[in-house]
Amino acid sequence: MLHRDRIPLLWVFLQAVLVVALGFSDMETGPGGAGVSVQQPNGDRFKIEGRAVVPGVKTQDWVSSARIFVEGEEFVGFVRTDGSFAVNDVPSGSYVVEVITPNYRFEPVRVDITSKGKMRARLVNYIKTSEVIRQPYPLQIRANGPQTYFMKRETWGWTDFLMNPMVMMMVLPLLIIVLLPKVVNTNDPEMRKEMEQSMNMLNPNPELPDVSELMTKLFSGGSKPSSKAVTSKGTRPAVKRR
Amino acid sequence: MAKLIWLCLNFVILCSTVGAVFEDQVGKFDWRQQYVGKVLFSNFDAQSQSSKKVIVATENNVFASLNIRTGELFWRHVDAIGPEGKIDALLHHGQDALLVVGDGRLLRSWEINIGGLNWEIVLDSGSFQSACLIGQQDIVKHVAVLKKTAISLHYLSNGHQKWIENLPESETVDYQSVYSGGNGEVYVLGIVPHSHIAIVVYSLDDGEIIRQFSVEAPWLSNIQASCAVIGEGMLTCADSATVSLYMLDLESQTEMSQIPLQSLGLEVTPGFQPVLRSTQPNAARPPLSEFFLQVGPEQHLLLQLNDGQIVTLRDFNPALLVSFATTGEKTIAAVMSPKNTTACSVNLFSAETGRRLLDTTLIFPLDPNGGKPEELYVQAFLKKDDSVGYRVMVQTEDHTLTFIQQPGRVMWTREEALSDVVTMEMVDLPLTGTQAELEGEFGKKADGLFSMVLKRLSSQLILLQAWISHLWKLFYDARKPRSQVKNEVTIENLSRDEFNLQKMMVMVTASGKLFGIDSKTGTIVWRHYLDNIPANAAFKLMVQRTTAHFPHPPQCTLLIKDKDTGLATLHVFNPIFGKKSHVTPPAMPQPILQSLMLPVMDQDYAKVLLLVDDQYKVSAFPSTKNVLQQLQEIASTIFFYLVDSSQGRLSGYRLRTDLSTELIWEVVVPTEVQKIVSVKGKRPNEHVHSQGRVMGDRSVLYKVQ
Repeated sequence: MLHRDRIPLLWVFLQAVLVVALGFSDMETGPGGAGVSVQQPNGDRFKIEGRAVVPGVKTQDWVSSARIFVEGEEFVGFVRTDGSFAVNDVPSGSYVVEVITPNYRFEPVRVDITSKGKMRARLVNYIKTSEVIRQPYPLQIRANGPQTYFMKRETWGWTDFLMNPMVMMMVLPLLIIVLLPKVVNTNDPEMRKEMEQSMNMLNPNPELPDVSELMTKLFSGGSKPSSKAVTSKGTRPAVKRR
Repeated sequence: MAKLIWLCLNFVILCSTVGAVFEDQVGKFDWRQQYVGKVLFSNFDAQSQSSKKVIVATENNVFASLNIRTGELFWRHVDAIGPEGKIDALLHHGQDALLVVGDGRLLRSWEINIGGLNWEIVLDSGSFQSACLIGQQDIVKHVAVLKKTAISLHYLSNGHQKWIENLPESETVDYQSVYSGGNGEVYVLGIVPHSHIAIVVYSLDDGEIIRQFSVEAPWLSNIQASCAVIGEGMLTCADSATVSLYMLDLESQTEMSQIPLQSLGLEVTPGFQPVLRSTQPNAARPPLSEFFLQVGPEQHLLLQLNDGQIVTLRDFNPALLVSFATTGEKTIAAVMSPKNTTACSVNLFSAETGRRLLDTTLIFPLDPNGGKPEELYVQAFLKKDDSVGYRVMVQTEDHTLTFIQQPGRVMWTREEALSDVVTMEMVDLPLTGTQAELEGEFGKKADGLFSMVLKRLSSQLILLQAWISHLWKLFYDARKPRSQVKNEVTIENLSRDEFNLQKMMVMVTASGKLFGIDSKTGTIVWRHYLDNIPANAAFKLMVQRTTAHFPHPPQCTLLIKDKDTGLATLHVFNPIFGKKSHVTPPAMPQPILQSLMLPVMDQDYAKVLLLVDDQYKVSAFPSTKNVLQQLQEIASTIFFYLVDSSQGRLSGYRLRTDLSTELIWEVVVPTEVQKIVSVKGKRPNEHVHSQGRVMGDRSVLYKVQ
């Protein structure tokens, strides 16, 4: 009975999953894989166009040292004075387009060119090569920031002194001892009772036998238990007399 | 388990101490030099005294801009390697430079000040022949590109094509050059070798053929090599067979008129093809009527075309190089003539009259270790008193660019041969006197206790002496004024430093020039140009003796082999000073197949170099009696292999005591299946301690010697 109710639901669920899966995979899976592209050297050649921008920097400062690499050094293009570029003579296939400058870092973009010349730009993903997250075409590439070639020297800061474990072991307990009573209201009787209870937990239970006393009993023999009996007897008559 | 944790900790700690480069370490231990290559075309950005840059296009597909004052690069653009990026032509107009790239594949316009591209267009297919700027009414707005079968006209501002026309009869006629005199007409000159010249005139506006005619010229074979357009559209060609000039007026379609050079009183060196050189400083105006005619390898004539008559203005004999330069309205001719064996002088002459301009002599020093001057680029400018001043950039055979100012001061030199380094070796620097003494202490035999104590004391005294003199020199230098303290690296004070880190880098470049570069600062300490290097040469550099064997000088051997004929020459030199060694290398009349350096040393500690020629006989260098005796003893243990990649044959030989070889094994790799591309042997300083090494997956890796 359980199964019969669930079957149509299961069927709907399966259909939904199928639809979603079809939606995510692309019917027109471009030739994937960096470098493994269908090369037709005798076919038509196409042009990859785009624009590169470095925010905050004038184009004439970085353009003279910039090059556009399509699939490594296979096809090289140069950047115009307004930041736009075009790489000519590219056959159909799938290529990674990168802007190479010594000073600024740009994100690479993957461009698929079909044999009829239709261009599609998407994000570069070397792991899932057929994943499509579309980018605008003609390409618009922004610089992420300056290239970091160097490690920063370690500097001294005031936090270095505080984060020293020795200092923390000394200073923090000091702070706790000094500040905590001020924070906690010790005149409150309930607060006092709580504190006393927590203190009592530290004290050993008098009913439990003391380990050190046991050891001394074992090693010393007779004299000690008599003194013990005297003391215990001493207290008992005191109680009884009352 | 604890041991593993301990190992991990060690690993992590040691890894974190691996050094990285910090920003303040840049430039302290490193240096970088950028080169462009052999210059094909060059233009100064303005013919004025304040111009700052010169643009060059080179053989290595590089387009760069150099600073005139220091010779440093402003920017450079390296195109694809190979024929796709080859620069065919460079045209310069104002702030734009036009390049035709890749045998007419692309036309690019660069903005010279910024170093960025203005525009780039793909030209129609067809191999490139010529390009020129077309002007009309004193303004240049178009550029024409002539291909084998078509001519296209483009706008200078955005590169769009205005029109493209097919050339008539392009199967038979070889159209070679394009010319425009600034009157709205584009002339295309073609030739059917040894038959006739075909001239087609197109209109600038729409590409219509205005005129088309052909002229008989059975003596002419190549327009670009023998002809030039002079004056108001007069095509002038020089012929060596009939020793005469032929002139043709392109406007009126008359026959070619022949002017024998003898009638002008001129003579041509027999067997020499005369070369014409004209100048068109403004593309919107016709070329000047003055031109150079080279009638001998060192003789140039300045001629003028005056109303159809040729007048000799001046005869330059001897003259190595000539060049025109225009500044403002004045055009001058610069002539470089040899002065003596170590210098040439450059003089300026007025182009209109041929008179020498006063105070314009410039001395160009000739490096005996360099090549002869090959090209002369002149930048002329008008000085305040209206006289002409100039600066000169000379390119020599060894790809060196030298920039000289009047009266002979060298502003900068660029060793462009270093753009193509083939091989290099790092050689230790020589020991100082004190270091050599200390090393000697360990080498000599021990005589006795007392002598050893004495030796130790003496070496300590020498060290003390050296230290005191070093301190004294420091104090002395500190007291001198700063400007006099020189801290250059010169050949004389090169010696090993504490940890033997600074070495001499010996570089061999493809043009046949050897350089010795100091590894700490990157300065070129010595240079040597080897002339008569074959065009297709293979180089192999070997260090035969290092600097560790004082008093014998260190010795390097360079084997230069012509790949086509197989003949080889040896160049033996001292790697620290660059001078040729006194040891004469053996003459090798036979082609050499293989060279091999043995660890066997001669009496003077030079390693033995074996050369195998194509008769499979071996010659040794150095070939003293001691070496031959040693070789005879160990001959049976010397094996070598030869590879013939055209037949795909690998063969192994063994040396016999009479220095001939015997074949031991042979392997044939059939060439239909695969072709041997490269062969790599083991490094000479690698010691093979075991025949085989066990790998991780329990297979054994063998090293075959």
